[in-house]
Amino acid sequence: MKTMRIYMSMIAALVVLSGPATVWAASQLADLENALMCKCDDKCGKVLINCTCDTAKETRKALKTNLESGLTVDQIVKQYVVKYGETVLSAPTKSGFNLSAWITPFAALVIGGFGVRKVIQSWVRPVQTEKDADESGEESASEADTPSGKYSKRLKDELDRLES
Amino acid sequence: MNDIGEFALLLALATALYGVASYVMAFRSNRVDVYMSADKTPIIVWGCVMVSSIALWKAFLTNDFSLQYVAAYSNIDLDFFYKFSSFWGGQKGSLLFWALILTTYMMVVHVQNRKQNVRLVPIALAVMMVITLFFLVLLNFSTNPFERLPVPPEDGRGLNPLLQNYWMVIHPPTLYLGYVGFTVPFAFATAALLTKNLDDGWIRLTRKWTLVSWFFLCLGNLFGAQWAYVELGWGGYWAWDPVENAAFMPLIVATAYLHSVQIQEKKDMMKVWNMSLVLLTFVMTIFGTFITRSGLIQSVHTFDEATLGYYFLGFLGVIIAFSVTMILLRLPLLQSKNELDSFLSRESSFLLNNLVLLGIAFATFWGTIFPIVSEAFRGVKITVGPPFYNQVNVPIGMVLLALIGIGPVIAWRRSSWSNLKRNFTKPVLTAAIGAAMMFPFVPLTDKSEIFTYITFILCIFVMTSMFIEFMKGTGARMEARGESPINALSGLVWKNKGRYGGYIVHLGVVLIFAGIAGSQSYSTDVEKHLKIGERFQLRGYDFIYEKLLVKEESSTKTRVIAQLGIERDGRRLWTGMPEKEFYKGQNQPVTEVDLISTLKEDVYMILADFNPENSSATIKVYVNPMVKWMWLGGWVIAFGTMIAVWPDRLEARRRVERLKRQEAIFIPAQE
Repeated sequence: MKTMRIYMSMIAALVVLSGPATVWAASQLADLENALMCKCDDKCGKVLINCTCDTAKETRKALKTNLESGLTVDQIVKQYVVKYGETVLSAPTKSGFNLSAWITPFAALVIGGFGVRKVIQSWVRPVQTEKDADESGEESASEADTPSGKYSKRLKDELDRLES
Repeated sequence: MNDIGEFALLLALATALYGVASYVMAFRSNRVDVYMSADKTPIIVWGCVMVSSIALWKAFLTNDFSLQYVAAYSNIDLDFFYKFSSFWGGQKGSLLFWALILTTYMMVVHVQNRKQNVRLVPIALAVMMVITLFFLVLLNFSTNPFERLPVPPEDGRGLNPLLQNYWMVIHPPTLYLGYVGFTVPFAFATAALLTKNLDDGWIRLTRKWTLVSWFFLCLGNLFGAQWAYVELGWGGYWAWDPVENAAFMPLIVATAYLHSVQIQEKKDMMKVWNMSLVLLTFVMTIFGTFITRSGLIQSVHTFDEATLGYYFLGFLGVIIAFSVTMILLRLPLLQSKNELDSFLSRESSFLLNNLVLLGIAFATFWGTIFPIVSEAFRGVKITVGPPFYNQVNVPIGMVLLALIGIGPVIAWRRSSWSNLKRNFTKPVLTAAIGAAMMFPFVPLTDKSEIFTYITFILCIFVMTSMFIEFMKGTGARMEARGESPINALSGLVWKNKGRYGGYIVHLGVVLIFAGIAGSQSYSTDVEKHLKIGERFQLRGYDFIYEKLLVKEESSTKTRVIAQLGIERDGRRLWTGMPEKEFYKGQNQPVTEVDLISTLKEDVYMILADFNPENSSATIKVYVNPMVKWMWLGGWVIAFGTMIAVWPDRLEARRRVERLKRQEAIFIPAQE
């Protein structure tokens, strides 16, 4: 149960961190340029903010005019969706079927995480006490941690063997 | 020469067919004479493809527009340099280039293993030959680069101006060297499955091939990003375009394999997993090729005549079906004694690392194919662009970054909480001090900046944990052998090339993470319409628009250049020359940016628009921090990989011993 809670909190954190689509934008125009694709005749397939073609320039001018006329970012985006269809959006909406685009990668990670945990559990040798683990851990820790006598000797032996 | 080139392709096809048949027959019948007759086929096929390639290069360099391909991708005025690279500028030539690299690799595998590794090599070569055969069939019957025009034009259409950039001369070959390189581990893995030689022999044989292919693919991705940065003129370097994703996915899956294979090498575990990852990496390279050449997914990078979708889809289907079937058939032989000493161990951290890497690969794959999924289920085509990938992959990438720092600190076999506490104290403390020191200076106004702040903290954590690893090893050597610090450090790295080469690669990856975070969050830009003599400021830089120059470079190319004076603190730093290039017959001009690049930041200048009547111009300037860190990270990765793959005397000695043990040409596989 505890592990389950940890996984769920991790996933919740990931989803929260993934946040709304305004992450990479600084201003309203930039928000729009990030949210919309360029619809030029060459079908360049670029997000508007990344496109330098003439159509992109015209679209930017139109977006500025729309913003100056008092329309909100959402309203302008909706206008463009009506005009061009959903392909004008640079990312799937977070509703309906499109939500599966956002959820699936994280769901796959959660399922994979459970799988990895189960695999490791089944591979770990069953007879292990905390004390044993600590002691052997101390051993490997000292191997990796301080140049103790034992570690130095082992390292020296290995180096000698390598160079012989 | 064109006839020779065309004939050489046919000869290569026939020889490859013979090669496949004779390798398979030799293996099945255990006949040395048949094996000997197949022995020369890799060299003959390579020779034929090379002759064909030389013929095509010659056609480009001599402006032979009787070839449809040359007429479509070159012209008389094209620079020599770009005539050379036009070879891979279109679909036909790029397939021939693929075949050239593949057959070169095949020839090297053949020469390297002439008298050794005879259990696997014939079948591995047969597999490579089958893949070569596929490309040769396409080249001979579907996309022949030697197709003639009934009436040759006086001049060609010329190379796409976007491809007339030095990065486009370097980027495709580098990427192909990586892409095609994964054929070698795939071929050996398949040979191991077919011959039931499922010990770690195939892994040992392909270790360096995998590393080198990974390295080239990594550099190929970075070079592509550099091309996009200087050529596309939007101030960025990565747009999560489907074709970029296609090059990114095999890199990520191969990275997972390079980590998990260490568990098999050390503990003879995870055979099924590693086999699956190798096969998946190759599948991803073919999937990428399918995307680029099918026209199924819209992308700026797809080839103009993307018509080979069905061929590649069929090939992909065959490879997937074959790979899955073989793994299922060999499942009993692939079972290994999977045993871990502790939940807390390096092995577990590698499994977690694999999960995260495959999570990134899956998210990228899912985003790439989601438009098709949406169309299939809803009948509505949608776009999946950078906002999706940034929001999904950035958090997962940050977990990966943390794991880069955590993994090396955890001991192999088993660790304990007290051990972890001790090993993590210094890196965590350093990261905390770094976080506190950065806090007053780092803006934290939106999520992007918070992500960046966390990424920087993680970078400090990883760097410290790496530094401590180097310090411990160096200290131990100094104590045990009384060496000087420099000798101890170089000796440490030299005697453990794989391990410390890997750590250096990790340092390069950290630099790339830092560069991405810094440039994505703290970039500023401004666009100004200016008359001559007007000026503006951005982040302490003064920009003065000085003049507009128009240069008729050739009969097909005109350059319009805006001259900008750039000052800082009243001192002239640079004369910026952003420009637009107009090519005859092209609808859109090409943007050529000008750049001042330092470790701190890039000043990136674009001529967005101009009016020749009054010489006014619209100038866009970005100040992008830390972009250079990414390119530097690439060189650090190159250095680390070089160390990791550097020939080892001990390994060479072991190989000689193995050779001595091999007595028969074919040794029957063990059930």
